[in-house]
Amino acid sequence: MDANIPVLFRTYQSQETHTRCKIWEAARATSAAPTFFKRIEIGNKQPFIDGGLGCNNPTKLVLKEAKLIFPTHQIGCLVSIGAGQAEVISIRTPGFLQQIMPTDVNNALKAMATDCEATHEEVSPLFADSPNIYFRINVEQGMQGIKLPGWEQVANVEAHTMQYLKKEEVVKKLTSVINAIKSPKAQLMMEQFSLQ
Amino acid sequence: MLGRLRMDVDTAIDTYNNLAEQVFSDPKRWPGDGMFRATKLEKAIKSVVQNNLKTGDPEGPLLEVSDPSVCRT
Repeated sequence: MDANIPVLFRTYQSQETHTRCKIWEAARATSAAPTFFKRIEIGNKQPFIDGGLGCNNPTKLVLKEAKLIFPTHQIGCLVSIGAGQAEVISIRTPGFLQQIMPTDVNNALKAMATDCEATHEEVSPLFADSPNIYFRINVEQGMQGIKLPGWEQVANVEAHTMQYLKKEEVVKKLTSVINAIKSPKAQLMMEQFSLQ
Repeated sequence: MLGRLRMDVDTAIDTYNNLAEQVFSDPKRWPGDGMFRATKLEKAIKSVVQNNLKTGDPEGPLLEVSDPSVCRT
C-alpha cells in the first residue's frame, strides 16, 4: 500500500469508481486514522487508511476531479473548510489518553494541519485574478485544547466556531460565499487549471 | 451523511455527535492495532446507514445509479 496515493470513493460512475464498495466501507476507511483504528480491507483485499500526509486537504483533488467530470463547465464557487489553524492545534492536556498515545501522534496531527494550510497556500494563487470564487474557512483560535477523539468537548468546538463566525471579516466572507452559490459569476473555465 | 445519505445539516451534526460518543467513549485497554474498537465503529456506521438509506439496507452500495442531477460525493 502506498499511503501517498489517495483513492477517491465516489457515489457516481467514473472510470475509477470502486463499483462494489459499500457505504459503510467507505466511511470506515476514511475513519481509519493511524493509531486510532486498524486499517480496513475492501474488495480485493486492498488495505485502506485515512488520508496520509499530503492528502488532508482535498482541494487540488476536487479541482482535478471536477475538470475530469465537467470538462466544459466553469467554476462558480469552491469552499474549503478546515478543522482549526495549524499553529494552534496542539494537544496540551496530559491525561490518560496522552500517556498511551505515542508522541509521534501529536507530531502527526500538527503535520496534518500544516499540510492543510500548505495546500491552501498553493491553491489560493490559482484564483488570484478571479475573486469571490475560492474561499477558505478555518477557525483560527481556540482549537488547541481539543483532543482528536474529544467527543466530550463538542460544546467547546461549537463555542470557538461561533466566536469565529462573528468576526467582521468572516461575516463578510460568508456573505460572499452565499452570493457566489446563489448567483455564480463563473469566469473561470475548468480547462484553465493545470494541476500537478 | 450530507451527500449519499441526504441528511440535513442539523441531523448530520446530531448523528455525528452521537456516533463519536459511541465510538470514542471507551478506548481499548490494550491499544495494539489502534486505540479504539473498529468493530464498534463499523456497527455504529451501519446503524446510521440503515436508519437513513431509503432501502434500509445497512450494506447499501456507495455507488448511486439514480438521477444524475443529485449531489455527487
